[in-house]
Amino acid sequence: MDSAMMLEARGVSKFFGGVKAVDEVSIGVREGSIHAVIGPNGAGKTTFFNTLSGFYFPDSGRVTYRGSEITRLANWKRIVLGMGRTFQTPSVFAELTVRENVMLGVRARAGVAFRLRPPAGEERETLEHRVDELLGFVNLGRSKERLVAELSHGGQRLCEIAMSLSTEPSLVLLDEPMAGLAETETDRIITVIRDLRQRLGLTVLFVEHNMRVVLSLAERITVLDRGKVLAEGTPSEIAANEIVRDAYLGKEALDHV
Amino acid sequence: MKARAELIAGIVVVAILAAGPYLSPLIHVDLSIVSEVLVTALAVMSVNLLLGYTGLPAFGNAAYFGLGAYGAALSAKYLHVDFIGAVIIGTASALLGGLILAPFLLRRRGIYFGLLSIAFGQVFYFVAYRFTDVTGGEDGMNFPRPLVLGHYAINETTFFYVALAAFVGCLIAFRTVVRSPFGRTLVAIRQNEARVRYLGLNTDRFIFVALLISATLAGLGGALFGLLINFAYPLELDWHQSGFFVLMMILGGAGTVWGSLVGSFIYVIGKDIISTQTSYWQLYLGGLFVACVLAFPRGILGTLLARLNARPAAADSEPHG
Repeated sequence: MDSAMMLEARGVSKFFGGVKAVDEVSIGVREGSIHAVIGPNGAGKTTFFNTLSGFYFPDSGRVTYRGSEITRLANWKRIVLGMGRTFQTPSVFAELTVRENVMLGVRARAGVAFRLRPPAGEERETLEHRVDELLGFVNLGRSKERLVAELSHGGQRLCEIAMSLSTEPSLVLLDEPMAGLAETETDRIITVIRDLRQRLGLTVLFVEHNMRVVLSLAERITVLDRGKVLAEGTPSEIAANEIVRDAYLGKEALDHV
Repeated sequence: MKARAELIAGIVVVAILAAGPYLSPLIHVDLSIVSEVLVTALAVMSVNLLLGYTGLPAFGNAAYFGLGAYGAALSAKYLHVDFIGAVIIGTASALLGGLILAPFLLRRRGIYFGLLSIAFGQVFYFVAYRFTDVTGGEDGMNFPRPLVLGHYAINETTFFYVALAAFVGCLIAFRTVVRSPFGRTLVAIRQNEARVRYLGLNTDRFIFVALLISATLAGLGGALFGLLINFAYPLELDWHQSGFFVLMMILGGAGTVWGSLVGSFIYVIGKDIISTQTSYWQLYLGGLFVACVLAFPRGILGTLLARLNARPAAADSEPHG
């Protein structure tokens, strides 16, 4: 396998009863790239994503991360290896403050989560500093002490991204990061995703519906339709691809690009 | 400031409890009933850790409670250990029970965890019920309260202070656990386990340790309960008993440190007072429960604390806009 590939899937399939939600999908995510998975509703994007992140395991096929097989590796171990993910509906601890949310991840990373004694002194300061750094990155510093439940949808998503970063991943998987967001919030998230690569040097794989977002962010796009890969290429290749146009995009969506 | 208020409130409560031998006659309650409140509170705490904090329906914790009681009873009767030995063996029996059951319970969640907990509890119940030669079966088993180190007898007043010491010790330990990074992670598991796993934490490992702590707490409560009444009987292991622990936890306040004491106080004292007045005491106690749950949806302590916290928090959020 190609060593420059950070995450690779080969012939991954996933069934639900008799339905083949993901059918022999292969993908290669190059280190340092921003890669998008697109497709119409029910194309199997999220299911595919879940097999990559170990939310459940594929029925057949292989998944490798940095060359080592992770097909049936427990999800929490993938995080330890350096993967991070967000969910379509922001997956946060709504009853806790923004700071406490991110602190959970920071403590997990620092190996403090299992301890009975709360961190004190210098250690505590190091952890607090790290939380501030992460909240600064997603621009949530001002909301630090607010309950996550009080934040807007976009705020919760940013909090979730900060939490995903708290485990210091090299690859982040974002499942429809723009789902349910207002247009202004979308721009904020686009900036953050761009910064993930530019400022933190991370590799990003994301599922997205919003074509404007995909075409302005992604360097490589994989199109799924009915569980299969329909096409793969650069944004301009995908925009020019007749099959993709017919199956999914519709002419107008791309004529604006 | 908040921590100091809690410390002062805690000291006041413990001071009032310590005056139990003088206060209990005033409300016509036997001192042994107040001891029962304290040891029952340990079992309620054990349910609170799993259900109130971690969100696991601990519907079978009477199994550990009963193991504690039988461990103390059997060791006192057949091994002739002293009081301290009986407490240790009773508690260790429950911990052993937890070690045996935990691997099976570990990966279950929600209702499956609850049903499996009940089922395992019933296994212990039937063992105690059937092994008549050893356990006395349905009739239970009497045993004399062992002496401390084989010399010093423990009367009701001394027992009360032993129970109080055990309660205070466990409460401090419990508070330390739930306030620790470990305890905060348990709360996070209750709220959103998938997210905790996606922070790179093996939640099964946390739940395993929580189960063992819970079994040990319930076992200590059970061992002391057995030694309090000098009796062990199968119903201590029964799922009805587990249900009462859950009720007391809800009554006091799930996910609160002191709620277990509040719940067991109202249940045990309430039962004692009402049952001396009328033979329909279950009806009145049931009514009391319904009234409490309606008036205090998050448990008595849980609701009061939420109201106390609501005011400063509302004022606080203003400047943030």
